[in-house]
Amino acid sequence: MSCPYLSYRAAAGDHEFDTERAYCTAAERFVEPMRADICNDRYDLDHERHCEIYREHAE
Amino acid sequence: MSYDSFLADEPVIVTAALTGGVHGKEATPNLPESPEEIGRAAAAAERAGAAVVHLHARRPNGERTFDTGRFQAIDDAVRRHADDVIIQHSTGGTAAPDADRHRPLRTDPAPEMASLDMGPLNRYAHLTSENTRGLVDSLYDEMHERGIKPELEVFNDGHRNEIRGLLDRRDLADPVYATLIFGPGTLTRPTPRNFLTAIDDLPEGATFNTLGFGRHQLPFATMGVLFGGHVRVGLEDNVYYRRGELAASNAQLVERVVRVANELGRPVATPAEARAILGLRGV
Repeated sequence: MSCPYLSYRAAAGDHEFDTERAYCTAAERFVEPMRADICNDRYDLDHERHCEIYREHAE
Repeated sequence: MSYDSFLADEPVIVTAALTGGVHGKEATPNLPESPEEIGRAAAAAERAGAAVVHLHARRPNGERTFDTGRFQAIDDAVRRHADDVIIQHSTGGTAAPDADRHRPLRTDPAPEMASLDMGPLNRYAHLTSENTRGLVDSLYDEMHERGIKPELEVFNDGHRNEIRGLLDRRDLADPVYATLIFGPGTLTRPTPRNFLTAIDDLPEGATFNTLGFGRHQLPFATMGVLFGGHVRVGLEDNVYYRRGELAASNAQLVERVVRVANELGRPVATPAEARAILGLRGV
């Protein structure tokens, strides 16, 4: 299951993109591609274990 | 290689790391992500003096992929736009399954070179890129089978031990080619003394490539030029041209290091010269 703070959007603040990209609603910024694997729980990654932003906001 | 190599006017190979797999256009809009963008960036980097392009693959939304087909699309775009540049695929990939790490090696034709991470490194606060010896060996074996030259990525001092271990386990073709990486965190701490220690500690006959992260890119590339090594620059490792100013392109970073090499009197290798220096199979 993906991170509840994950959304996909094409624009936010000063950033605008041609395609929708991973956006962290907790950190209020677009997500680095490698972090997006954590947001999406791809491979053996898990946002609850591996993402410091999620852990901070979940506390 | 050493200062003697500099004095002997041996050509310096410039590698352009065009896109990487960690950050994307959210870091800089100038970073290429699509096959077409990467193909054009490769051609511009080659015109600027790069002999090698180091490539990662992205999904259409910029996220990482290890898909062979996506690497093929990138290679096709690079060959369409560039002249003779050497293609080097990344096999790096934090947390990606071992099987996925092999997929960049399976394009047709195979890349002439591919990266081979020498060991673990930390990512963010709770993540490690493992790069076990078992994975290193299996990636090396497939590279050997397909005629791909491994670029041994040395993220820290212990990884130089891992090169020696790999040489004990496998028969690497000469010259052994290692990329020495300097920067924060798990990387070797970026000091000139550490750089000299690293190049002195390589196996006999090895040649090296120099990679400094962020603000260390230009000074470490300059040291690589001076001490007879090769250099890697590009937006994968550094998105700035100078403090507070984003680089306009990969080519701009290549142009700068080529100017440094020219000023220091070191010739810049063409792709054909780089193939001869590294013992590549050609395509």
